[in-house]
Amino acid sequence: MHSRKIIPVILLLAVIALFPVMTRSEYILNIMITFFLYVILSESWNLIGGFAGQISLGHSAFFGIGALVTRLVWLSGIPVIPALFAGGIGAAALACSVGIPCLRMTQAYFPIGTLALAMIAQITIGNIFPLPGSLSSEYVAAYNLSSRYYLAFAVGIFTVLTVYLFARSKKGLALVAIRDDEGAAAAVGVKPFQHKILALLVSSFMAGLGGGIFAYQHVSYFYSAPFELSWAFLPTLTTFIGGLGTISGPIIGSVAFLALSELFVLNLGEIHLLVFGATFVLIVMFLPKGLFSLSVGIRSFLRDWALRLIGRGEAKKL
Amino acid sequence: MLVVDGLDVHYGDLQVLWGISLEVRDGEIVALIGSNGAGKSTLIRAIAGLIRPTKGTIRLDHLLLNRRPPHEIVKAGISMVPEGRRLFPKMSVLQNLRMGAFMKKARHEIEQTLGWVYDIFPVLKERSDQPAGLLSGGEQQMLAIGRALMANNRVLLLDEMSLGLSPLLVQNLFKIIAQINETGISVLIVEQNVPMTLRLADRAYIIETGHIVGEGAAESLLNSPRVREAYLGIGPECEDSLGGV
Amino acid sequence: MGQTLVYGILNGSLYGIIALGIALVFGIMKYLNLAQGTLIILGAYIGLYLSQLGLDPFLSIPVVMVALFLFAAVLFKTCFSRLINFDEEEKIKNSLLISFGLMLFLDNLITVIWTSDERSITPAYSGITFELFGLRIPLIGLAGALLAVILILLLHLFLTRTYFGQSVVAVSQDQEAASLMGVNVSLTFLTSFAISVSIASIPSMLIALQSFSPTVGLHWFNKGIVVVILSGIGNIYGVLPAGLFLGIIEALSVYIFGPSYREVTGLAVFVLILILVPKGLFRRRGAA
Repeated sequence: MHSRKIIPVILLLAVIALFPVMTRSEYILNIMITFFLYVILSESWNLIGGFAGQISLGHSAFFGIGALVTRLVWLSGIPVIPALFAGGIGAAALACSVGIPCLRMTQAYFPIGTLALAMIAQITIGNIFPLPGSLSSEYVAAYNLSSRYYLAFAVGIFTVLTVYLFARSKKGLALVAIRDDEGAAAAVGVKPFQHKILALLVSSFMAGLGGGIFAYQHVSYFYSAPFELSWAFLPTLTTFIGGLGTISGPIIGSVAFLALSELFVLNLGEIHLLVFGATFVLIVMFLPKGLFSLSVGIRSFLRDWALRLIGRGEAKKL
Repeated sequence: MLVVDGLDVHYGDLQVLWGISLEVRDGEIVALIGSNGAGKSTLIRAIAGLIRPTKGTIRLDHLLLNRRPPHEIVKAGISMVPEGRRLFPKMSVLQNLRMGAFMKKARHEIEQTLGWVYDIFPVLKERSDQPAGLLSGGEQQMLAIGRALMANNRVLLLDEMSLGLSPLLVQNLFKIIAQINETGISVLIVEQNVPMTLRLADRAYIIETGHIVGEGAAESLLNSPRVREAYLGIGPECEDSLGGV
Repeated sequence: MGQTLVYGILNGSLYGIIALGIALVFGIMKYLNLAQGTLIILGAYIGLYLSQLGLDPFLSIPVVMVALFLFAAVLFKTCFSRLINFDEEEKIKNSLLISFGLMLFLDNLITVIWTSDERSITPAYSGITFELFGLRIPLIGLAGALLAVILILLLHLFLTRTYFGQSVVAVSQDQEAASLMGVNVSLTFLTSFAISVSIASIPSMLIALQSFSPTVGLHWFNKGIVVVILSGIGNIYGVLPAGLFLGIIEALSVYIFGPSYREVTGLAVFVLILILVPKGLFRRRGAA
């Protein structure tokens, strides 16, 4: 990141941090928490799907396990932050036991294997915990939306930073090299399988943290709700639409997804998914780098246009 | 009759062929020689329609062929034996040959052509029920050539036919190509084995880094010091050692 | 127990035909069509519409078949034709992604048109069963199993006895070489895709006679892909035995663990096999 960019980013974060002070509207705060959730899940997906090039259709399993473990640990009386970590570790453990065999398979199998995993998880949890889990009255009495807000915000920043640092690290670069040409990367001594495992573990850990936030946010929900496949599809959509393998892509995609789903919230049949499905197809076909590349394109187009208006002499100074 | 004029080919942003022009006349064997990566295979694949040229024309008589898909080029009269043989491995030898006569006009003469191909390669008749994937390398190459002949076309493109085969087998195949040529089929051949190819061919073109840098009668190229040094690894001082290739 | 097996076998043949459409597309074109289940459900809604006009579900199969064929042809032209010359890995990945988006789009389009209510077609004969060796066999299930067998035989004849079928086999083995034989690869792709989707008309009708709603397409795709992978990817002759295998495993698990674990058992067996025998259980040498 250029140092130039840091100041606006910090300003933006500061404004977001002040939200609970500025408004008491539960609607806005809940929307923001959902937004953080989307960002966490999308960035986590982006690590394995975008940087490692392995399309996972089963992130709901990691998200769900994170939610389940966090909820159970937290309700057993342990403070929420350790509970959250337990959730992340639970998700990473699931990735270890089932995700790694999936990674061993060729490209066609990984999406299908993870999808099967997600379906197994959803049905099994639905069978084991058929009833919704509600908070007991003492937890409800202590419920405080702004603490949820700040925790989600913090985990969101943590996730974005992790992906950012990971992508810039030697391991991240190796991962991209593997994605682009596995044979060539292996030839120069990069171990494809180990790097993919690492990406999957970090990714599932973060998805588990996201699930933990979900468990902490909601007073009452069916235990299988965070296992629903929509939690697997969401990060795939947002990341592709925002920009695969970029840091800001999943954030842009999450904003777009949230805005559209709120816009169409009262409509029949989740029209936002209809719009997103169509947009997704168009993007895979025509804009493989996502809306992000479009915004870069528009920006450079605008800059060229501005430069032409200002004239060549001025342009040199820019 | 096969005329290539001013052909440019790009892979993405990378230009690999620059203004290539060549000609294969009726009944001729023409060779393309050049070092690895010079663009020989790219050129022959562009003629077959497997790669789209960015500029220039390919004509067979008066028919314009560039930018046509491969199946239309086969229909126009050009067959290709691709590099690496590219048989249908799970189909039998006979099924492979029948696929060679897939075009409607070839289907009508299929029994006749099949007899001719079996005459040229008797081993294919013996093996006709075996899956192509189980043949030996030499037999596979024969099948690949036989399959291309099944289309009954006037022009045959041969891409790296001798790759991975024993010298004896290669010599045999070259004789067969000469035989096929005598029936009136024109041949454009891309080969690593320069001396043998120049002996077989009537004329040859030399390609270097995507440009044609020389052409001429095969015999005179075989004797030109420049070709001998560049492709036969023989300096002017040891000319007589060329005899036994 | 015997009765459980009967249902397992009948369900299994349904899984087999679902898998057939997916296996054909994958085997010939190396496309993974995640939307196949949704297209089956689309066929079910078309069948529902026809039955409201008074057409018998089994008689409406040909109509649905033609409708799906045409729809698939348009879908191929607009969305999938650009992948024809990609290499295998890129084909799989891009077709998977495009069909994933299509699935979401079509699922929700169907909801908008037909609402999310659960539907089913119930002709007069829908409950009829007859007895054989003391086992109750539902008429519709048996008709479905017979259709599955007939369909696979027809497909076999088409692939081995016709020139066009042979060109399809050739494309599945080496697309570029096939084009050098004069095969129009893009036309073969278009036709193969449309045929594969039109095959969905049979599961469409069988599912319509049970029950369906707009978003169950993925569930049925999943049954299909499990069978495809069990049978060894791209092997169309393995889909029926593999389908029966899955059907019987599910039936046994219902018998042993109760109905709520039916799906889990099937999927778990699938994941296990994926890990242990990644090449599939019912692979036959030399099969198309």
